[in-house]
Amino acid sequence: MEGLLNYYAADSFLHRLNPTLKLAGLMALVVAVTMAFDPWTPLAFLLLGLFMLRVLARVPVRQFIRPLLLFLVLGALGFISANAFFYTPLPGRPVTILWQAGGVRIILEGIRVGISLTLRMLSIVIFSILFVATTDPTDFVLSLIQQARFPFRLGYGILVAYRFMPMWRTELEIIRAAHRIRGAGERPTLRGRWEQLQRYAVPLLASAIRKSERVAIAMDSKAFGALPRRTYYRDVHVRPVDWAFLAGCVLAAAAIVWGMAQLGLLEGYGVVPEA
Amino acid sequence: MAWIDVRHLTVRYPRAPRPALQDVSFQVERGETLLLLGPSGSGKSTLGLCLAGLIPDSVPAAMQGEVLIAGQDIAALTVGQRTAQVGIVFQDPEAQFCMLTVEDEVAFGLENMALPRDEMELRIRESLGLVGLEERRRERVDRLSGGQKQRLALACALARRPSILFLDEPTANLDPAARFEFFQWLARLRAQQPDTTIIIVEHILDDLIAMVDRVMLLNHEGRLVLSGAPAQVFQANGEVLDEMGIWLPQVTALARKLRAAGLPLDRLPLTVDEAEEVFAGLVPAGPLPAEPPRRPAGSTAGGPPALEARRLSFRYRAGGPEVLRDLSLAVPQEAFMALVGPNGAGKTTLALHFVDILRPPAGHVFLFGEDITALTTADITARVGFVFQNPEHQFVERTVEAELAYSLRVRRRPEAEIAQITDALLASFGLTPYRKMNPFALSQGQKRRLSVATMLAVGQRILILDEPTFGQDRNTAHALMERLQTLHAAGVTILAITHDMQLVADYAGTAAVLVDGQVRFQGTPHALFADEELVAAAELRPPPLVELARRFGLRYGDGTAPLSIREWMGLLQGAPAAGGPAKRG
Repeated sequence: MEGLLNYYAADSFLHRLNPTLKLAGLMALVVAVTMAFDPWTPLAFLLLGLFMLRVLARVPVRQFIRPLLLFLVLGALGFISANAFFYTPLPGRPVTILWQAGGVRIILEGIRVGISLTLRMLSIVIFSILFVATTDPTDFVLSLIQQARFPFRLGYGILVAYRFMPMWRTELEIIRAAHRIRGAGERPTLRGRWEQLQRYAVPLLASAIRKSERVAIAMDSKAFGALPRRTYYRDVHVRPVDWAFLAGCVLAAAAIVWGMAQLGLLEGYGVVPEA
Repeated sequence: MAWIDVRHLTVRYPRAPRPALQDVSFQVERGETLLLLGPSGSGKSTLGLCLAGLIPDSVPAAMQGEVLIAGQDIAALTVGQRTAQVGIVFQDPEAQFCMLTVEDEVAFGLENMALPRDEMELRIRESLGLVGLEERRRERVDRLSGGQKQRLALACALARRPSILFLDEPTANLDPAARFEFFQWLARLRAQQPDTTIIIVEHILDDLIAMVDRVMLLNHEGRLVLSGAPAQVFQANGEVLDEMGIWLPQVTALARKLRAAGLPLDRLPLTVDEAEEVFAGLVPAGPLPAEPPRRPAGSTAGGPPALEARRLSFRYRAGGPEVLRDLSLAVPQEAFMALVGPNGAGKTTLALHFVDILRPPAGHVFLFGEDITALTTADITARVGFVFQNPEHQFVERTVEAELAYSLRVRRRPEAEIAQITDALLASFGLTPYRKMNPFALSQGQKRRLSVATMLAVGQRILILDEPTFGQDRNTAHALMERLQTLHAAGVTILAITHDMQLVADYAGTAAVLVDGQVRFQGTPHALFADEELVAAAELRPPPLVELARRFGLRYGDGTAPLSIREWMGLLQGAPAAGGPAKRG
């Protein structure tokens, strides 16, 4: 999954948007797509997502192709086959049996549901990428604090945790190496794994606690939270274009759903599929 | 009126057996530069936390006594007012930042003061300028080198315009050149802002001592035992300093030894400049011997090298930078080699190849002449011990004795044999009293000793150590080096990755210099420090005694300079230079 959920510094339409409103707009699309149960509506959202990725976000699309294909294959294998075999129709609905042998049967409606699920999942992944790849984490937290009234203490806590994440990975690698030198082989048995986890956890936690205490003291030494109010060096602005983006997303979602309904492709749109 | 006035300060952490600071009283004048010395656990950092008003608010501890800054009792101030007076630079460059970019980090401390944006902009520019980082203000903090990070920490403190700077071992994690550079920026700052009071905790004093006005010493119990001008403190209290394991500037240590040997010196020099005056009459006029005293560079009796890398290249990920570039290095059997070079030169990466943690392709890495790819993990770990920089990383058991027995148990040795080896190691590393303790509960020095001992349990013939003397006081470092020397005398090959120039000067038989993933030099420490260009390229600093030799024009016949206290003792006492450190044969 390396590269799938990373921020890519660049300058694009999406990069310039206010993080909170960008999140709201993309969330509107995610909500709209989750409520579709036919295969065609998610496909339309997926195409919209890919269009945005291509035109509005300047991110290295190549990086995403492989993980996306992986999702596609997993989805196809998992969701489609599971639904094809085990689809339970709503009472009173006829099913189309494509193939049958003994107790095993393949149901057309099941395949449709599977495809729909896969496409929904893919579009949600694309909308997530659109957000994460184009949003500077610092700006995101600052925007949450400045626009969404998120408590600043918690916000900075999240920022520090984010900053420390690569460090934990390095630290864990060092500990694993150190233990290998002791002759502590990584045993594949369940019990072996459990013991190993305990062994890694102690030094990792010891150092995590120490480091986080140090950061906390360093932050306090710079009077973090000493005053009820603080100012911000980076102001995260909201401009008309941000609201326009949010409105655009909502409109696009509505347009797709309406259009699909006009074409007669929409079925059972809502929180639960209706009879 | 003194700027800082501390009266009968006692601090006790919850559940601690004794107070961290006991009845400490002192005064500091405005603009004074104070060096705070003391063994680990003597309360130096605690004192800084008290001055900054972080105890008891941020760090829970019971505090008695008074701290007055500018005549005001800080207990009566708000948290904001207290922290505005004192800027702190902490030791760990990785754990004192919370933002992602340089300017955001400086801004963080200003935002907390609720300053307007224009004022922040002004102060960011000014403070980054004071430490030479104005060009890097948009850089990500994690892309900075260790030295740059510490200068950034200094800038963050300065931007808040404190009247007092408390620097808590700011250079402990830096390589020698970065340490020197940090002190240079500090000296410049001191000249530009003569009103700023500086309190600094440091262990390696050679490049710092010249700017220190006063030295204060805390003892194991957190009591203030000495205070005075540096010369005066070092002059009159040698035994106390020895007992506490305080590192002295190298020239001072030499002068003390000479005095103990009966040479009349009118005063103890602290810097190379002073040493030049004090030793002027003692330096021999005649030529030095043709060659420096030899230290064994390893067995010449033939046999394959203990460790060897042949044309080894390595990158951590495909397309990433090449960390090792076609590197070849042989460590002869029974050598005591120091591996030095700038941070990021590939020293640890190379060492990890010698224990198969990083896997070389066949035909590039050899242990005693055997291709490492043909050996099993058990074979490799039975030959090579590897001591990590942070001993905690290697601990796998819950008691000291189980820790020592661990690699033997993994190998299913008989219990009787395990008990015997464990007891012997406990005794020879002075760990017997702690055998039932949890390794994590040991002191730093004990942890280090334990991690070395565990690496010898299976009878390893090669010991690789990553920064063995890091963060230790003089006594524990000295004890460890003596232990390594004993092992070396018993035929163990030692490879030490280090930034500690004193280790190189006093103990190493040979040195290898790594720069940019290649071996730039392999030879004696004498030859290394004689090559000024190489020393600069490797971001090292020559020991002060090498600089002193240069001033006096002292050279062996081969052009190298005497660099250890032992050699200088011999030269200045008129006797021929004694051999290197104690060694068999």
